[in-house]
Amino acid sequence: MFKSRGFDKPSVFSQLMSYLVLLFWSFVVLFPIYWVFTTSLKLPFQVDSGPYYIPFIDYKPSLESWKYILVDLRVDTLRPFYNTVVVSVVSSVLALIIGATAAYGLTRFQYRPRLSGIFLFIALVAIIMLGSSFGVPWYLMLIVGIVLFFFLLGPLMKRFPKALGNNDIAFWLISQRILPPIVVVIPIYVMFQQLKLLDTQAALIITYMAVNLPIVVWLLRDYFVNIPLELEESARVDGASPYRVFWSIVLPLAVPGLVATFLFVLVFAWNEYLLALFLSKANAQTMPLLVAAQNNTRGPQWWYMSVYILIMIIPVIILAILLERYISRGLLVGAVKG
Amino acid sequence: MNQSISNPKKQLEPGTNPLFNWLNRHAGLVFILPSVIIVLALSIFPLIISAYLSLSRLKFVQGGLEIKFVGFANFRKLLLGSERKHFRGDLGVLSIWQWLFVALVVALLIYLLSRYIRSQEFKIGGLIYRIVVFSILSWGSYYLMQNLSSDGRPGTVVVTLIYVFVGLFFQYFIGLSLALITTQKLPGRRFFRTIFLLPMMITPVGIGYTFRMLTDTSKGPFKPILRAFGLEEYSWVSDPWGARWAVVIGDVWQWTPFVFIILLAAIEGLPNELFEAAHVDGANRWQIFWNITMPQIIPVSATIILIRMIEAFKIIDLPNVLTFGGPGTATESLTLQSFFNWRTLDVGGSAAIGYMLMFISLFIATSYANLIYQKLRRF
Amino acid sequence: MKKLLALLATLIMGAAFAQYDGVEINIVTFTGPQIAEPLQRHGAEFAAATGAKVNVITVPFSDLYQQILTDAATGTNSYDGYLFAPQWMVDYIVPGYLEDLTPRVEADSALDWEDVGPFFRDFSATYDGKIYTIPLDGDFQMVYYRTDVLDELGMEPPATWDDYLAIAAAADGKDMNGDGEADYGSCIGKARNNQGYWFITSIASAWIQSQGTSQGAFFDTETLEPLVKNAGFQKALEFYVASTEFGPPDELNLGVGDTRGLWTAGRCALTLDWGDIGTLAISEGSQVNGKTGAVILPGSTEVWNRETGALETCNDELCPYHVGGINHAPFAAFGGWSGAVNAAASDEKKDAVYALFSYMNQPAQSNADVTVGATGMNPYRTSQFENNQAWLDAGMSQEAADSYLGAIKDSLNSPNMVLDLRIPQNQRYQQIVLDTALAQLLAGEIDTEEAMEQIYDGWQEITDEIGRDDQLAAYRATLGVER
Repeated sequence: MFKSRGFDKPSVFSQLMSYLVLLFWSFVVLFPIYWVFTTSLKLPFQVDSGPYYIPFIDYKPSLESWKYILVDLRVDTLRPFYNTVVVSVVSSVLALIIGATAAYGLTRFQYRPRLSGIFLFIALVAIIMLGSSFGVPWYLMLIVGIVLFFFLLGPLMKRFPKALGNNDIAFWLISQRILPPIVVVIPIYVMFQQLKLLDTQAALIITYMAVNLPIVVWLLRDYFVNIPLELEESARVDGASPYRVFWSIVLPLAVPGLVATFLFVLVFAWNEYLLALFLSKANAQTMPLLVAAQNNTRGPQWWYMSVYILIMIIPVIILAILLERYISRGLLVGAVKG
Repeated sequence: MNQSISNPKKQLEPGTNPLFNWLNRHAGLVFILPSVIIVLALSIFPLIISAYLSLSRLKFVQGGLEIKFVGFANFRKLLLGSERKHFRGDLGVLSIWQWLFVALVVALLIYLLSRYIRSQEFKIGGLIYRIVVFSILSWGSYYLMQNLSSDGRPGTVVVTLIYVFVGLFFQYFIGLSLALITTQKLPGRRFFRTIFLLPMMITPVGIGYTFRMLTDTSKGPFKPILRAFGLEEYSWVSDPWGARWAVVIGDVWQWTPFVFIILLAAIEGLPNELFEAAHVDGANRWQIFWNITMPQIIPVSATIILIRMIEAFKIIDLPNVLTFGGPGTATESLTLQSFFNWRTLDVGGSAAIGYMLMFISLFIATSYANLIYQKLRRF
Repeated sequence: MKKLLALLATLIMGAAFAQYDGVEINIVTFTGPQIAEPLQRHGAEFAAATGAKVNVITVPFSDLYQQILTDAATGTNSYDGYLFAPQWMVDYIVPGYLEDLTPRVEADSALDWEDVGPFFRDFSATYDGKIYTIPLDGDFQMVYYRTDVLDELGMEPPATWDDYLAIAAAADGKDMNGDGEADYGSCIGKARNNQGYWFITSIASAWIQSQGTSQGAFFDTETLEPLVKNAGFQKALEFYVASTEFGPPDELNLGVGDTRGLWTAGRCALTLDWGDIGTLAISEGSQVNGKTGAVILPGSTEVWNRETGALETCNDELCPYHVGGINHAPFAAFGGWSGAVNAAASDEKKDAVYALFSYMNQPAQSNADVTVGATGMNPYRTSQFENNQAWLDAGMSQEAADSYLGAIKDSLNSPNMVLDLRIPQNQRYQQIVLDTALAQLLAGEIDTEEAMEQIYDGWQEITDEIGRDDQLAAYRATLGVER
């Protein structure tokens, strides 16, 4: 499956050096995870009087923490775990579907949103804001204008005075990732509260989908560009609608890209902490919150925390191993020039 | 507003259903509209509302919230008021070497500008844009040196920048090295590839705690090693630069896999013929890397750097968990500072810091995208 | 015995409160096992007895404050009852989110309200003369010492902060747990965003508050001028920096959880902490069982005279509550976990939530809970430290129990106890301004003068932002100062 890039077989010495580097980095990667694993088998006093390295050799391992979390807490562990699975899988699938259509659109259609249209839109927003908060001083409106202006500054400089192009739309989409979540989380909180969706899986699904959408568009755009046009064109000649072409010709060809992208956004959603903290209160709590919550007035409960961390990574690791061969085939990000 | 380029001439069979016809004619719009609407609803509108919050102060009163408009008070506090030193850092006097560094940066920027003026792409608008960006960068380098001078102290802005750029440098360097090694014909390379992906799969909060266990000097695993070097009285998390390095190491540990896997995919995807031809010409491995592999992966690298840079500006979990932003304010990033304010429900102050972060990262990302990224993609 | 008591109580309650059939209540607290565990346990008993359904919701400790506030402020009201730190209650009371519990407490004979420590009754649970919270935990800080180490050194437990430093200096570097390694003279969790701002108040109060609880240790009760730029506070900051020298190398990155771990591993001669150490010392794996002694927070022979602005030697007029010329000011840091009722809940939910908290507070339940380290609950009822038996049953030695309960009694009975800062947005004063300045001081970013300057200016700024008159009124109300 994998072609070697070195072409010739490396010399013994360079092979040896390569293995040394690989082993060294494997150690760097695995040691922290190993430490988490041993900690999960320790009792509190063993952690505090440590360090102990190898179970059975220098300390007596105990399954106490695992028992506490899997047996004693049962439902309280299961529910966040279930939430994490549902939220991350559903949001990733949705982001994948919606993002894939946008990425396809950006590679197969020429969009030319005119600046005048954008400005009109901004003006409308400003008027709405003005109307809704009557009596607000004028400089506030100025700020709103400045913010949006800054947002469009990059593309504007380049394309002024003409219309914008596909690259600008793509950059505008990825620029949403620049927003620190902390800036938008309060309005989102209020929005979901108004919709009575606070503390539901739906709120997290919608938010994660929106947050991950730009990444999907970016990763898939480069993938779609590489798919030859001929098949699509012949299908179009046969009278298939653009939707049919997309669904039955492009998507099947893009499976590796879709799988790799899915894995990426799934991992992001799976591990997300800050937004989950704001948007879930009880029923929709996800696993990262449980990990963080192990730091309480008694100090970090290292042993429980380690169990949670391990419970969280095991499913993702299995998925990563199963899908490993798709990952390196499916990421053609930035492979296209220009 | 848009038209199909893939097949503009071919007319679809006119269907009987006008809705289908309309949908088919506007397929481009239908493809992109859901994404645009979602981004508008969940990013742009919240952004505008937050802009208002950053200019106001929240108070809890009988029956809910009272939002009081205070103008630029929250920003003034950060830039000129009581949070000044926390945010901007303590500004010291530059040493001779630091002046030299600033002079070098300015000289480099002037050189780039002169090259642009003589180039064929020269446009007046582009010149003005570059002059603005370069002036800000020159001032930025001076400001950075003020923070780093012996009687200065980095504020949250500079700490964030250190995380972003130092972290990015190591992630790219290590990720590239590992990708090059694992694309060789080595038995067991797939095993290593899978292992190298692991850190990315762990929740950042968990990584913060894991590194806290590891850096603990009284019960962490490196205690015997420290003792062997006579360092049991030294704690790297109590030393400002030691603590910053600890955060950077954690960040590099977590995000190197991301750079690694994408570069790996890029190198795997290069056509074999290139290498065969070079081999026939008798090029050695270094020449192959430098003249064939590297130019081919520069466009990919440009994209990874952009994505990682954008993500890195938001760093919060690691410093929050590993050092609580301490010792002092040594490891506090902008997002963390914003989060601390939010936690005490100083929503206006929190939003103002978030906005400052957004301005900074937006400036750097757009400058990078406009001035460097486009060039590298065409490399 | 405990089970029997619980069963008995359940039966009695079953008769009294069977009216909560079908009432579902949500109670929020932080993610346990502490506090949440007893809440869940008693919640189940309560549910079995009354037919109510109790949902315990937990959020990370550091986010509890804002979770409750945002929930109530946005009208979401997902929680009917709160189990939180009464330090925050003013932020919830002023906008009217908490139910006034005074009539219910007065009508509740099972509660045995008079048995609850006077400080918790009159100050902790009360704001502006009304009762808003039911205490379930007694929180104040004490100093713990290693009896064996002090015996070996021939030193007495610290009575003043100077004594504390002297002991720390003498003990530092000794091996105290027999593992052949040098251990530490003093362990205080000084990490940022942890408990540092409570420790500094515990220390500073010895110099700053000498005339009883109502005098206040944070602000002037007439002008709301911060009491952080004076000779007394300077002393405290100097002590705080000096004690670092005898601490673990990474003390600046340790929270109270870390120092507790060090304490039970036998690595510290002295520590400053809440009541938890007492029960942790007798838990499994502890190296210091029977070697842990406790004293009331050390004091000072000099206090800061607010009239003259100078440090002056204690006398009967300046420090009316002095003990042998030493002014002690025990600090009720944080205030102890307490239950409160959401004012926006329906009446039957309010009743059910109140009944649950009352049930947990009643001696039958709480007397057992406070002796178990895992509950995170510390004694707050007079009967709990006057009766040794429960403690001996829990595994404490006679000597340790006398020392521990004696220190608690001394602290609780002190009329000069310091009430934690409870004005609106106190989190901004303490968690942001004070905590940041302390961390910067310890890290050497600023000196004591600059730290005091920074705290003073920061506090003044927040006060002016929120409104000085409102804040002053709230401060006086928490201290019970009459207009």
